[in-house]
Amino acid sequence: MNRLVYGLLLLISLILPPVANLMESVMIIHMHMQMPMLVIIGMIMARFFQERYPRFFEKWNENGFPGIVLFIIIVSYWMMPRTMDEALTSQSVEIFKFISLPFLAGIPLMDSWKKLSSIGKNSVIIFFTVAFIGIGYLYINAPNPLCNNYLVIDQIILGWGFLITAIGLIIYLLYDFFIDPSAYEEVAEEE
Amino acid sequence: MIKNKNNVISIAIVLLFGCVLFFIGTDGFTAYTAETARVNKLIEDKPKFPDVTLEDSSGRKYPISELEDKYVLITFMYTSCTTVCLQLEHNMGQVYDLLPSKYRGKEIVFLSISFDPERDTPARLNSYKDYFNSDGETWRMARISNQSELDSLLKKFGVIVIPDGNGNFAHNSAFYLVDKKGKLEDVLDYTKVDEAASKIVNILDEEVGE
Repeated sequence: MNRLVYGLLLLISLILPPVANLMESVMIIHMHMQMPMLVIIGMIMARFFQERYPRFFEKWNENGFPGIVLFIIIVSYWMMPRTMDEALTSQSVEIFKFISLPFLAGIPLMDSWKKLSSIGKNSVIIFFTVAFIGIGYLYINAPNPLCNNYLVIDQIILGWGFLITAIGLIIYLLYDFFIDPSAYEEVAEEE
Repeated sequence: MIKNKNNVISIAIVLLFGCVLFFIGTDGFTAYTAETARVNKLIEDKPKFPDVTLEDSSGRKYPISELEDKYVLITFMYTSCTTVCLQLEHNMGQVYDLLPSKYRGKEIVFLSISFDPERDTPARLNSYKDYFNSDGETWRMARISNQSELDSLLKKFGVIVIPDGNGNFAHNSAFYLVDKKGKLEDVLDYTKVDEAASKIVNILDEEVGE
């Protein structure tokens, strides 16, 4: 119950017009801070819904696959240049953003992630790495503004934000591939 | 087995939802940026050119209705622009050169409208037009001094102008073709000069042939 209250409080504080306007005034904060925060709010609230409706998640998201697909769809949708513009100009799109990211991306992600095998998890991370490199490249090299509400320089900054995030993901994947944490744990036990 | 069936059903629902979401969000997979969506909508709506008073590079003041009975190819720019406007006007010049001279001035007028009326005085427009070999007659450069008239035009034609605080503006660019009755006929990609020119020639050929 607490988690629901905290989540909703956070959500409301992000929806407050001064907060929302401030975050949306800078393109990279809009996409790389506000949107992930909305997803995180969903993840915070997820436990409440899992405990409240355990059968629903058990029944419809048994292997975690439907949930992660829903997460990918919602997040991909919000990575389109157009949806960012429309969130600023259209009230209904803005409302959809505040609902879809926590409830249709954050909650399914939290529920699905633990159910996925490590291959499944890494596939998702690889998917986003490739997507981020592609989108980052697009935003940096697009000669025209892709978004009508932001300056080209904002767009280039956002592109670099995507590339740097992708680099972070690649480092994680390399770490995951080459380093076996249990090897270190055993050494610690022997000592 | 039953559980697996549920998974398949929920994946199907999720994928269906995704398709519907993207279909609606991109106007049926046609517009991935707001700019494309804007242009598509403009071409569909065909807004009428609002009643504005132009002040051109020779200092003449006249209502836009003076250009009625001619096609007008319009760009929106400002002379202090150092980036896209130069390209835009340069390309406008190329389209101008590609059109048969019999049409220029008679069937079609080129018009570059400044959205920075404070700085773009007739004198400044006059020297700017020389850079692009515009004759000030069949290709005019003009400002709209009345801010509310300017705003209504920009709004109607979906031109978004954002001041960047350093005296520059970010803005979207295109060729706007307005027909003889003052209605927006088409919005052309300003980077595709040949395509734009051949489209215009086709329209004018048809018009004259009638």
